[in-house]
Amino acid sequence: MCVLCGQDFVAQVHWTDRHLEDRARAAAPGSDPVAYQGDRRRDRAHRVVLTNEILRHYGLKLDDWGGSKYVLRDRKGRSEIVQDLGSLWPAAERLAGRAPDPLDPALRETLLDGQPLSVAGW
Amino acid sequence: MTVVTGFLGSGKTTLLGRVLSEPSMSNTAVLVNEFGEVGLDHHLLRRVDERAVLLGNGCVCCTTREDLVDALLELLDLDQRGEIPRLDRVVVETTGLADPAPILHTVFMDPVLQHHFSVDLVLTTVDAVNGDLHLDRNPESVKQIAAADKIVVTKTDAAGPEAVRGIISRLGAINPSARVFEAAFGEMDADELFRRDGAVSRAASGATVGEPHDVGGTHSVSLTFDGAVDWTAFGIWLSMLLHTRGEDVLRVKGLLDVGEVGPVVVNGVQHTIHPPEHLDRWPDEDRRSRIVFIAKEIRPEELLGSLEAFRGLLGARPLSLGAGHAVPSQ
Repeated sequence: MCVLCGQDFVAQVHWTDRHLEDRARAAAPGSDPVAYQGDRRRDRAHRVVLTNEILRHYGLKLDDWGGSKYVLRDRKGRSEIVQDLGSLWPAAERLAGRAPDPLDPALRETLLDGQPLSVAGW
Repeated sequence: MTVVTGFLGSGKTTLLGRVLSEPSMSNTAVLVNEFGEVGLDHHLLRRVDERAVLLGNGCVCCTTREDLVDALLELLDLDQRGEIPRLDRVVVETTGLADPAPILHTVFMDPVLQHHFSVDLVLTTVDAVNGDLHLDRNPESVKQIAAADKIVVTKTDAAGPEAVRGIISRLGAINPSARVFEAAFGEMDADELFRRDGAVSRAASGATVGEPHDVGGTHSVSLTFDGAVDWTAFGIWLSMLLHTRGEDVLRVKGLLDVGEVGPVVVNGVQHTIHPPEHLDRWPDEDRRSRIVFIAKEIRPEELLGSLEAFRGLLGARPLSLGAGHAVPSQ
């Protein structure tokens, strides 16, 4: 970890982040770095919104943390910092006490209902 | 890099021996587990002992093969110092009982190897005489079929045409996305076999045949979506599925329409996903997503139901391709 910026050096890019990595590498020298950063931020914000649709079923919530990591929180105030979707699900399993399973009929119902659960305070 | 796997005695080495003798394969290094009775005569032959290091969650597919890392790094070193002719390809031969997933995992995860090697395809040999027996008795053999991009049915000369047809139909039922070749006496065209067209062309034609099959607890289902899929949402769904049910998902393979000019190639074996490629264009006229799932203990309806529930996030509904009929294991 870098002591100045608090960021880990990420040796392994998760496959779901690969397109961003590829785009960064494909960018021609001299191209606008701000445009890429904008894309990246939009992508991360979009991912947070979508992931929270699922996580609310488990009483969890994800936030972007400084554009470099995500923070996963439960309602008791416990939190974990995760790097990507690869480390998100194990963390969600620890906090929720059960494995998040997309095949779980109860999760399917929550998603199909589409009714936001009453999440007080959030 | 090509991974060659296959059942015990199914003719992996014979096939390799034939194929490697062709001039076009001269700059190919071969990593084998044992020097078998059929001596491979090749100047870049290396032996590796299967040494697996089990990681974190103890799942077999997420092990790192240290032996392979060492051997590949050595080859890379020789290649870059110019001590061997320029290396075009590495062929890794597994033992008959090996699960190919750890090999892919090793290459994708190693901090050095991931930048120097890519896995072109997984080739599985099945012998027409004993193939059925292996598939019945041996769960690893089903994994090898599921992981394959190309399957070579060997010893077709020794088995009757009836048996060959039977085994080919059964292989198609387990893995509808793989191309199946027949080889008598190990005669094969090397270019045809090692050319990397699996990911795209086969997903194109194979998946449309798509029928839910049930082969002794292993199900495969081909599906498409009624529109472009949100890649972020698909990544969330698939990473979640693989986290919890990764050991049951033997294979995911296909092309996904994500609303860009070209599709995304999705290719995964158990927990291990190939780095997804965003293509510049579609390989043919058909611009629909087509994706094949091979799973054990997960019914096709469960997968479809789950994707259906995620439709709000994905932005498209899943559609099963074709009507299904079961091919019972014999």
